[in-house]
Amino acid sequence: MTHTNPAYHLKNIRHYYGSQKVLDIDDLNIKTGSITGLIGSNGSGKSTLLKMLAFALKPAKGQIFYKGREESGFSPTVRLKVTLLTQNPYLLKRSVFENIIYGLKIRKDTNHLEARVKTVLSTVGLDYGSFAHRRWHQLSGGEAQRVALAARLILKPEVLLLDEPIASVDTKSAGLIRKASLKARDDWGTTLVIASHDLQWLYSITENQISIFNGKIFPGGIETIITGPFEKTGDKAFVKKHANGQPLILKAPGPNEENAVIRKKDILIEPSGHDLTKGINRLSGHVAAMHLEKETHHIVATVLVHDLSFVLKLTPDQAGSFGLYPGKNITLGFYPGDVEWF
Amino acid sequence: MDFIVEGFFKALELLINGDGSTWSAVLATLKVSVWSLLISTVTGLPCGFMIGYFDFKGKKQLRTVLDTLLALPTVFIGLVVYAFISRQGPLGEFGLLFTLSGIVIGLTILAFPVVTAITASTVEGIDPDLKLTLISLGAGKRHILTTCLWEVRYGILTAIVNAYGRVSTEVGIAMMIGGNIKYHTRTITTAIALETNKGMFADGIALGLVLITIAFIVNLSLSFLRKQ
Repeated sequence: MTHTNPAYHLKNIRHYYGSQKVLDIDDLNIKTGSITGLIGSNGSGKSTLLKMLAFALKPAKGQIFYKGREESGFSPTVRLKVTLLTQNPYLLKRSVFENIIYGLKIRKDTNHLEARVKTVLSTVGLDYGSFAHRRWHQLSGGEAQRVALAARLILKPEVLLLDEPIASVDTKSAGLIRKASLKARDDWGTTLVIASHDLQWLYSITENQISIFNGKIFPGGIETIITGPFEKTGDKAFVKKHANGQPLILKAPGPNEENAVIRKKDILIEPSGHDLTKGINRLSGHVAAMHLEKETHHIVATVLVHDLSFVLKLTPDQAGSFGLYPGKNITLGFYPGDVEWF
Repeated sequence: MDFIVEGFFKALELLINGDGSTWSAVLATLKVSVWSLLISTVTGLPCGFMIGYFDFKGKKQLRTVLDTLLALPTVFIGLVVYAFISRQGPLGEFGLLFTLSGIVIGLTILAFPVVTAITASTVEGIDPDLKLTLISLGAGKRHILTTCLWEVRYGILTAIVNAYGRVSTEVGIAMMIGGNIKYHTRTITTAIALETNKGMFADGIALGLVLITIAFIVNLSLSFLRKQ
């Protein structure tokens, strides 16, 4: 299936809470029908971005294009195509049935409601007979989350945005949410954007990942971010003192640049054919986690060097040749000049 | 102690036998409390909702004024309303003094801040995720407003019950504006005050029992509505 326009194109988006900049996106495309993962720590701007994608929050500056058309006024037409499941979804003080059909009633689409609620409840693993007439307060956290998801799925949305959908649910619910979300994409071509701290779960469902740090987007997925304080050494280099006293030498930043990023491709493992002794930051750490990318079958490994996490990406062959496994001690390195500042 | 027990049984007798003055006070109380509650709800509920829902300049100051009005002394309301509706007052020509309508005006002034302030607090306490949830389900402004109102229905019921509690147990306004005229403007509370002064405990207790029963029925209805 080919699409001429991406589902979303964000251009020069800036957003502030008070004087603090919370989003700073120069350019972002999200393909129609894709499943995109959003990775970032608390307060990084994930929820703000999702609200914007849901047309629930207008950016202070910049343009949002939906399927090639600029959406500056957030028209009702476009808002009915997109739906967001928040981290703590609010269930209306009504029955499960009433909660699920709320969006349909807004759309004045009230045909065969019972049959449709039955289908959607079964998609999220809930039995119609047992759940449809329960009150909102008679549900567990996982059940409430699945009812909220069912209320979105029944709308057959063009875009489904999920903000931490499995943050407070058990493994069974997490599996059912994954299955139901994938079914939406397979059945109706729904574009999915999912934010989650559970990287294992996120990598198992998403085709591509975007990481976000202090409102800045990294379309290649999770990267190694080094934050201050830094010390200036000479004219062309900055030093980050490591917890164990070991210095990291980084090229000097430009004006107003505060944080450094080292791209996955620029982090080398020993032995790798590279000389990790001259002019390079050489670090020892252990593999903390490994994730398999669903589409490329590449392995994203997180290496913990004291309190810093370094992220690298390997082909299955490379991972095999290094014999990587969680807990293994390895030596890695990067050149000071490969550091990018933002 | 004996006279209290004796009074209680005499009270039951008065109620069962349909004593005219007792039931006249009950009806007067029901009339003024229901009308004042109706008017204060119709006006106070939208005001409270708007104050709680929207952010505007001077909102904090308005809330302070409203909270102060919650503690408005009933005799002061009685005095002001009396001044307005007495023969020399600006509304004197309407002949409202010593009428149930006059009492309704005073009780409405008493209940309005209660309904408005509690509704505003309830609306201010709406879960911030509710609005986002409604937007994400496609709701427009009208649907967001009506759904928010429906979501806080229990808080609004509490506001109405609180206001009812204030108007049905009020003495000062009913006494000053109504004049405690038997078979005309005498309410349960003014009657209790009068009968107690006269040493007629049975009549006082009978009316007290009715007042408690009304309060019980109101709360029972509220509890039933909550379950729905």
